[in-house]
Amino acid sequence: MEAFIDGTLTLFGSPLSVLIFFCGLIGGLLFGAIPGINMLTLAAIFLPFSGLLSASDAIMFYSVLYCSGTYGGAVTAILFNIPGAPENAPTAFDGYPMTQKGQAGKAIGAAVICSAFGGTCSVLLMMLATPVLAEVAVVYFGPPEIFALIFFGIAVASSVGARTLWKGWLSVGLGLMMATVGLDPVAGIERYNFDYVYLLAGLHFIPIILGFFAVSEVFVQAEKRVRGIYDMPKFATSFPSVAEFWKLRFAVARSVGLGFFAGILPGIGATLAAFLSYNEAVRWSKTPEKFGRGELEGVVASETANNAATGAAMIPLLALGLPGGALTAMMVGVFQMHDIEPGPLVFINSSDLVWVVFAAMFYANIAILVLGFLETKTVLHLLKIPFQYLAPAILLLSTVGAYAVRSLPMDVVVMFVAGLLAYLLRRTGYSVAGIILGLILGKLGEQNFALAMQMVSYDMWVFISRPIVAILLFAGFATIVTNLIRALGGRNRGIAL
Amino acid sequence: MHTLNLLRRSVLGLLIALFGAGIAGAAGAAQLPDTMAKPGGFPERPLSMIVPYGPGGGSGQVSRAMIQGVKDATGIDITPDYKPGGSGMVGLKTYMAAPADGYTVLEHIDDATSAFAIGKSKIHPAVNLIPLVISQITFSQIYIRGKETRFNDWDSYVKFVKAQGGKSTIANVSGEGSMERINMNRIAGHFGFKVQQISFNKGGQRYGALKGGQVDALFEQPGDVRGFLDSGDFKPILTLLFERPSAFAKVPSMKDVGLTFTPLMRFRGFYINKNAPADRVKYLQWAFQKGFHTDSYQAFNKKKFMDLIPSFRDTEGAKKLINDTMGVYKKVYKEMGLVK
Repeated sequence: MEAFIDGTLTLFGSPLSVLIFFCGLIGGLLFGAIPGINMLTLAAIFLPFSGLLSASDAIMFYSVLYCSGTYGGAVTAILFNIPGAPENAPTAFDGYPMTQKGQAGKAIGAAVICSAFGGTCSVLLMMLATPVLAEVAVVYFGPPEIFALIFFGIAVASSVGARTLWKGWLSVGLGLMMATVGLDPVAGIERYNFDYVYLLAGLHFIPIILGFFAVSEVFVQAEKRVRGIYDMPKFATSFPSVAEFWKLRFAVARSVGLGFFAGILPGIGATLAAFLSYNEAVRWSKTPEKFGRGELEGVVASETANNAATGAAMIPLLALGLPGGALTAMMVGVFQMHDIEPGPLVFINSSDLVWVVFAAMFYANIAILVLGFLETKTVLHLLKIPFQYLAPAILLLSTVGAYAVRSLPMDVVVMFVAGLLAYLLRRTGYSVAGIILGLILGKLGEQNFALAMQMVSYDMWVFISRPIVAILLFAGFATIVTNLIRALGGRNRGIAL
Repeated sequence: MHTLNLLRRSVLGLLIALFGAGIAGAAGAAQLPDTMAKPGGFPERPLSMIVPYGPGGGSGQVSRAMIQGVKDATGIDITPDYKPGGSGMVGLKTYMAAPADGYTVLEHIDDATSAFAIGKSKIHPAVNLIPLVISQITFSQIYIRGKETRFNDWDSYVKFVKAQGGKSTIANVSGEGSMERINMNRIAGHFGFKVQQISFNKGGQRYGALKGGQVDALFEQPGDVRGFLDSGDFKPILTLLFERPSAFAKVPSMKDVGLTFTPLMRFRGFYINKNAPADRVKYLQWAFQKGFHTDSYQAFNKKKFMDLIPSFRDTEGAKKLINDTMGVYKKVYKEMGLVK
């Protein structure tokens, strides 16, 4: 506790530190909300300047940016079906339908509270047990376990958002196939690029997410206008009640746990956390058929988990010097600029700095709550803009976002093709969520499977004899079989075969 | 036997080139002008740097240090863009797909050279690309966990690997035909053991694999794992140099364990597409070479043990290094039957 108070005093000890704290906070909220341009963009721009700051200020900026940037993308996901980042994609599944039902305030309010809650919980866990948890993560979770976890996630996702089980599996299969375009992640062999050089880089999931969500939504709403059945989203700022949250207490607790678990594994992070949490929310719900149609629990599950992953991702970084993603890797660079090596010795040589990071992330999550509510009161007015003005703005923003990812014109084309595809698939009951999950997890899964097979000398028995692998694979297969049996018996609560 | 002698002479020649050209390259770099006019206002926006490996490993670290160095020396902003996969091939081919306008540069390692030599890549790093600067040349070591109980030095490690009958694992960064694989295959051949070499493209996963005991050992360069060495998490058990460097005086060298082949070195540098406008290439050559000589970059290299071997190569020095290395790789692959 004394160390935390010292960290707090250092954090707010000078006007410059306070200014940097708020720059990170507001910068993350803004950059996180713009599709294609996310917190990594701001982090990269700021990197050369971080050498001019003190070590604690520089590291603190990145920690705060990480928290607020992860939340920032939820707002556009809910209001316009444009996830600011992949980890906000599951938020759009139910957040946007809530907006259409006049519950945007409730959805954003839930996202704000859950992001802050999930983030705060993970920071508290991080403060209590960073070195121990980091050891557990690297000792018990190698490539075989990560592959098994991805398999489990995909098995669970196969029925999310689709009209029938077959269509769910086909959707995930399509996503997995799309993930194979480009160079394979193991040996760099060219696949499905048809001698087109730009396809060598593969299909990036950001343009596809923008196409699936934003562009297809513009097509859907445009069709409604042409047919004269368009309903302008109702403007309402009603926030979720305490009673509504109390009903979701188990979902929140589960999402904190899943988000924390996924975040602590190097190379996994917030995206898988959000998808896993959303899938589990559907699986445990008594009314799974309501998901995808504006269920508050969907927003809660996704946003709690992705922010819970932020604190967890700091654990392998600080305790072991292992960055899990691009932003934590940039933080390694910032540490090194100040002659500090993250890893076990950082707790001995620079414990004051570590506690500044802990304190900064704790207060950043509290501040998200306050700023998020202020943001909610203002951004909801965007819904008053008539569709004929809003649609071109969405398309323009999406186009900029798709192009900004890699500066490839192909990505803009991919986005519009994905938009058209999603427009057709949504009408026929296929799952956009399943396709995106397959696309995002396909390469990661393939890479970890190849590494895992090399590690066990291509011996499947050794592979499945690892207890965690066996449990996750069994759970995945059991999920598939159970869904199949239920669908055959007509007892799958909304999902037919 | 004749092939082996030829090979030894080639590699020895390469080592002489490494040290000799290094001194020459460093002298040339000291004569760089302090300022240089921007050609036609270039660059008007931040540059992008494709890094073909994950952000946590050696390439990620050297890229960020060079980005800082270039910023310090010239004020140019560069954004890193990590494209791990396929032992560096994903990033390399992605780079070639980017517009050749000077706004995108590439970081790459000797993998680009070995991949061309073995026929896995059609991109010759000294022909299709122009090296702006080579900024790191270093030797490799084999590491075990600091807390390892099954073996604790080179002799006990060899005994352990032999007892595993080919199932022992060692992590590295690159696939078939790479510097790591060739060096490790030669070590294995000398001691008569088989080992599973597993390539992790991301540094975090690679180091996590050893730290967590997912693999038995790690083939890496000392600068990339300095933090783990300082903390005692990793312990070097063999240095792939004939003599023990002063920084690792207690670690056995190749001579100590009876290895006689000349080891291949790791080098990392920065490149630009040969089709980029010539005036922009010249400007970036100046900017990156100035970046190398900044205090921040020099401090980084020193901390990463990159002062033990002269690391700097300007464009011409880099081309010579790449071409010499290419010749050695081709001979080695021929000897191993990997190419005709």
